[in-house]
Amino acid sequence: MGGQSGQPVTLLAFFVTQSLNALSQAALLFFLGVGLTLIFGIMRIVNFAHGTFYMLGAFIGYTAERVTGSFWISLLVAPFAVGLVGALFELGILRRLYRRDASAFLMVTFGLALVLGEVIRLAWGPDALQVETPPALSGIVLLAGEPFPVYRLFLPGAGTLVALALWQFLERTRLGLLIRATSQNAEMVHALGTDVNLVRSAVFGIGCGLAGIGGVMAAPLVTASIGMAATVIIDAFVIVIIGGMGSFLGSLIAAVLVAFVQVFGEYYLPDLALAFMYLIMLLVLVVRPGGLLGKEA
Amino acid sequence: MISQTGMTRRRVAGLAFAGAAGLALPWGIRRGIAAEPIKIGMPLALTGPLGSVGQQLKRGGEAWAKVQNAEGGLLGRQIQLLIEDTAGNPADCVRKAQEMVERDGCNIFTGITLSSEALAVVPKLDEWNAIFVSSDNGDGKLTAGALVPNFFRANISAPMGARAVSLYLRQSKFEKFYAIGMDYAWGHSSVGVFESEIKHANKNLVGSVFSPIGTKDFSTYITKIREAGADALYIVMAGDDFNAFLGQAAQYQLPEKVQMLTEQMELSLLRAVGDAALGLVGSTRYCFTLDNPKNRAFVALWQKEHNTVPDTFEGEQWQALQVLAAGIEKAKSTDTAQLRAALETVAIDDIKGPVAMRKCDHQAVQGGFMVKAVKQEGTAHPVPEIIATYPGDKTTPPCNKETFED
Repeated sequence: MGGQSGQPVTLLAFFVTQSLNALSQAALLFFLGVGLTLIFGIMRIVNFAHGTFYMLGAFIGYTAERVTGSFWISLLVAPFAVGLVGALFELGILRRLYRRDASAFLMVTFGLALVLGEVIRLAWGPDALQVETPPALSGIVLLAGEPFPVYRLFLPGAGTLVALALWQFLERTRLGLLIRATSQNAEMVHALGTDVNLVRSAVFGIGCGLAGIGGVMAAPLVTASIGMAATVIIDAFVIVIIGGMGSFLGSLIAAVLVAFVQVFGEYYLPDLALAFMYLIMLLVLVVRPGGLLGKEA
Repeated sequence: MISQTGMTRRRVAGLAFAGAAGLALPWGIRRGIAAEPIKIGMPLALTGPLGSVGQQLKRGGEAWAKVQNAEGGLLGRQIQLLIEDTAGNPADCVRKAQEMVERDGCNIFTGITLSSEALAVVPKLDEWNAIFVSSDNGDGKLTAGALVPNFFRANISAPMGARAVSLYLRQSKFEKFYAIGMDYAWGHSSVGVFESEIKHANKNLVGSVFSPIGTKDFSTYITKIREAGADALYIVMAGDDFNAFLGQAAQYQLPEKVQMLTEQMELSLLRAVGDAALGLVGSTRYCFTLDNPKNRAFVALWQKEHNTVPDTFEGEQWQALQVLAAGIEKAKSTDTAQLRAALETVAIDDIKGPVAMRKCDHQAVQGGFMVKAVKQEGTAHPVPEIIATYPGDKTTPPCNKETFED
C-alpha cells in the first residue's frame, strides 16, 4: 500500500474521468429536474415535496433490493411505488385545491414534504442504510490508466435511456398527446371529452416516479439517508429555473451544465464550489428571465 | 411522560385517601413535595446531513435520563430533557436554546451537535446564566480562544482525536499525507492540528481540501486526492457526508492507493457503508468494545433497551451526562454558579475509564483510542477493533491550547 503512489495523472485521464463524473452527476440531476419541470409545466404546481419523493425512492429501493436480492427489480419497483404515492396524493388532496391560487400548492406540498419525511424516518429509522452497487456494475474500468467505477458509466447511459423514453412517450403515445394538450389548454381538452383530472394524476405520478428513479440510482453513491431530501431539492429547483420552468429539453441541458460547473468548479476553485451553481442561475435569469428554453420571458 | 392533569389527579387522590388507605399516604407525600424536575436542554441537529449524529445524542440522553429517573433522579429531583431539532443551523440552535431558557427556565445544556452551533451558543451563556456541558463539539477553540466560564467539554475534542491519530502514525512508514475535512469549524480545527502534528513528526502534508456540509458527489475530491500522490489520507467527516465519501472512495478503489485514516470512527458509518470501510484506521471518541466493567454494564443495558450495541455519540452523551451528574451531586444544587464551581474539579471513572475535568480550560482529560474497521464473524458490517490506547496526558493539549508542543 502506498508503494506505487505518486505517479502523475495525465491530462487526458483527468479530463476524461472528470467529464464522465460530471455526466454521472448530470444524470441524477436530470431525473430530479425533469420530474419537477413536468409537474410545473402541466399543472403549474411547484412541488416542494419533490426531494422527499427522491428520498422515498431510495428507501423503497433499499427494501426492494433486500427483499428480492436484485437491484434491477428495485429499479422498477421503487419508481412505480413512488409514482403511485404521488398519484394518490394528487387524487386525494391536490385535486381539491385547483380552484385556489398557487400559494395553496406551496403550502400543501411543503406540508407533504415534512409529513412524508417523518413517515420515512418512522418506517426505516433515522440511520443511513447501505445500498450495494449491483454486482454487474460494481467493478472498475481503466480509462487512460485511471480506475473509474462502472456504476458511474451506467448512470449517464440510464439517464439517456430515460430521456429518450420520456420524449417518445410524450411525442408518440395518446397519453403523451393528452399531457401536452392539457399543458396548452386544459379547458379545451376537457371540452373534447377527456378527463383532465386523470391526466393530472398521471403527470404528478410520473413526475414523482422520475424523482424515485433518481433516488434508487443515487443510493449506491450516497446511501439511503434522511438528509438526502433537503440537499437535493435546491439543486432540482436550480435546474428547473436555469432550464426554464416546464421545458423538458431545458432541464436536460441545465442538468449537464450544472453538473459540469460543479465538478470542474470543485476542482479548480473548491472554496467557491457552491457559489458557481447559483452564479450560473443568476446569469441565466439576467439574460433570459424565463430560463434557457422557458416560454415566459 | 406524566401529564400535568394526571399528576394533579394523582396528588388529589393521594390526599383524599391519605387518612383511609395507608398505601396512598407515601404516594401523596412523595408526589406532593417532589421538587421541580432538573431541566436539561438539548437543541440537537436531528435532521440534515449530521442528523444521524444528533439522533445518537438524543438516544444517549434519553437512555441516561431513564436510568436516572428510575433510580429516583438527582438530588431527589426527576430529570426532564428538553429536546428540539436545530437541523444543524447555528442561528436556529441559539434561538431554540434561548426559548428553553426563557420559556422553561432551563440553565443546563448538552448535546449541541455541530461545533459551529456550539460556537454560536457559548457567547450567550453568561447572559442566560446557563451551563453547557459539550458531549460532541470538536473545535479546539471552544476550550482555548473561545472559552467562556460556563462552558465545559466532557468529550474528546478534535485536537485530541487528531493527536491520537498522529501518535499512532509516528511509528508508521507513511511519509506523505493529504487531508480532507468538512467545511466548518470542526473540520478546519482538526485538519489544522493534524498539520501541526505532521510537521512535528518531520513528515509531509502534501495538501488539504474542505468539502461543504451536505456534499453528495465526492468524485472531484477523490480525483484531487489521487493526484496528490499521498500515502495516507486523513479524513474529518461525520454523518451523511462521511458515508457518501467512504462509499465513493471505495468505488474508485482509493483505499488500494492510500491508507484511509479518520479523526473519528462511528458504528453508524460502518453500518451504512459496509465493507467499503474495511481497513479504515482512526481514533474514536467512544467504542462499545472498550473493556472495563462500567462499559460492559452500559453495553448490556443498551442491548436490553435497543437490541444493538451503543454507537460513538450515544456513549459520549452518556459520559457527558455522568460528568454533569457528578457535578450536580457535588454542588448539591443546580444553581449555575455552584454547579460551575463543582464541575471545574469533577472527576469520574466511567464507560471510557477515568475522566477528570481540568479547571484551567474546562476540558475533560481522558484516554485516547485508536481503532481499525475489521470483519467480525456473525456481524453483517465491519466493527471497530481497538488497536492502541493512549493516556489522557498524552492526548490532551496543554491548557488553553489547540496544538501540542512535542
